[in-house]
Amino acid sequence: MERYWNEEIECMSREEMKKLQDERLVKQVKHVYENVKYYRDLMDEKGVKPEDIKGVDDLCKLPFLSKADLREAYPYGLLAKPLSDCVRIQSTSGTTGKRVVAFYTQHDIDLWEDCCARAITAAGGTNEDVCQVCYGYGLFTGGPGLNGGSHKVGCLTLPMSSGNTERQITFMRDLGATILCCTPSYAAYIGETLHDMGYTTDDIKLKAGIFGAEPWTEEMRRSIEASLGIKAYDIYGLTETSGPGVAFECSEQNGMHINEDNFIPEIINPETGEVLPEGEVGELVFTSITKEAFPLLRYRTRDLCVLSREKCSCGRTLIKMTKPMGRSDDMMIIRGVNVFPSQIETVLIEQGYSPNYLIEVDRVNNSDTLDISVEMNPDQLSDKVKDMQDQERALAAAIKTMLGISPKVHLVSPKSITRSEGKAVRVIDKRKLHD
Amino acid sequence: MANVRQISVFLDNKPNQLTGVMKLIKESNINIRALSIADTKDFGILRIIVNDTDKTVDILRKASYAAAVTEIVAISIPDAPGQLSRALDILGSENVNIEYLYAFLGTSDKSVSFVIRVDDNENAASALTKGGIIQLTENDISEM
Repeated sequence: MERYWNEEIECMSREEMKKLQDERLVKQVKHVYENVKYYRDLMDEKGVKPEDIKGVDDLCKLPFLSKADLREAYPYGLLAKPLSDCVRIQSTSGTTGKRVVAFYTQHDIDLWEDCCARAITAAGGTNEDVCQVCYGYGLFTGGPGLNGGSHKVGCLTLPMSSGNTERQITFMRDLGATILCCTPSYAAYIGETLHDMGYTTDDIKLKAGIFGAEPWTEEMRRSIEASLGIKAYDIYGLTETSGPGVAFECSEQNGMHINEDNFIPEIINPETGEVLPEGEVGELVFTSITKEAFPLLRYRTRDLCVLSREKCSCGRTLIKMTKPMGRSDDMMIIRGVNVFPSQIETVLIEQGYSPNYLIEVDRVNNSDTLDISVEMNPDQLSDKVKDMQDQERALAAAIKTMLGISPKVHLVSPKSITRSEGKAVRVIDKRKLHD
Repeated sequence: MANVRQISVFLDNKPNQLTGVMKLIKESNINIRALSIADTKDFGILRIIVNDTDKTVDILRKASYAAAVTEIVAISIPDAPGQLSRALDILGSENVNIEYLYAFLGTSDKSVSFVIRVDDNENAASALTKGGIIQLTENDISEM
């Protein structure tokens, strides 16, 4: 039996949802135009007035915002409420450049936590559950978002934050945690540590996990589900729009429902900015229609995915997005070919390796090199060097089939690649260091 | 003929990897009877024969090393010219293929011991027995 946090919204008819979005969008554009000079200038430059936006169909008339705009407007340039109305900031990790700081009024936090509550409920959470949140707390949105959602649902919340994995497992066991929230790479590490400590899935009560904040593959999902004995649900979000909970997975585990009463999604051609029809792959763009303090209109996420309104077996009518095929930040162009770490991860898991790997890209004599360090599979250890080198060659060949370019594969010892407690660092692009 | 068990350990090709394994073994009072390392650009495979195979494998795996056990043939031959060649001829005549071999210290200075990794242990053992070559058991080696 599927449970909903807000059935009225989550199962609303398309017509009603569009009407709601139309009303909210018109109001929001007016709010932004009046209060955010930065965006008003962009609209004026394009010759668009708030009156031109009568509903969702007019969305394409509005100018885009990109991460570059956020940097330029840092820190207060996109703020739409006086600071006296704001109660919190959250911030990005800043790993791909300057930090983004997002502001929240209490109303914004309530909406955000409500989105997270929908995700927890869709994963089967109720007030009977014990929810262990091991996303980082602090500036990162992961911990505070799921923490708030868990409170709303009424779960007993364990605000663990990330790190100290053995202690995580002790709490998980002693307090009977039933829902785990963290990054997928940390979930994999918790599973690994659980088994290293001599426990099995019989020793824990977990039934579901809500994992997000970094790209992960179907293969990794199956591997985490087996190692922790749970159903693993994806969750999507970004600091710029609020945090986790912009979209979430349901029991179908096939794409994430976007909370489109708060965020209107569009898919565009990343080169031309043209809006693409449903079903086509393109860059995901979000317009926040309920946020007060930091309401971004047509924000380009740089995530590539597909939107679908196909009927979902869970009963929700909220539009679905596929798992992002990769954030364009993660995309590497190697010898002219677009490469996503997730493609390499897919091959590794298919071939029986752990999803812990390190990609090093370099340029030698004007040619790109791709080196992938992979933890060898202890069950495949042979005393014969030839066998081990055959394993490296077979893996390199499988990756070449996937990517179209030949990598050098280096087997390294088990557990020698640093485990991540938050977002995993999987790519070292040395070409950038030379520039 | 009981074959001898050899432990293989995967080592990264960087400083202090062998030291790590040796420390563990030292702390557990295990004695290494035979040792060789095969090296590649990326990694090495340490091969050892010890006086307590099960305990050693257990300790290594607990410390997260990849360790595997394979059966090998161990022989003891007189320390004189032409003796290894003779033993290899015997194996060759039975079409036994050798993957690798290495020498290790025996107890006598009149004989030399070898670990031989072959593709067919049974065939190798019977050929060596027929050819009059002394084969060592795991017990022989641990008591050396």
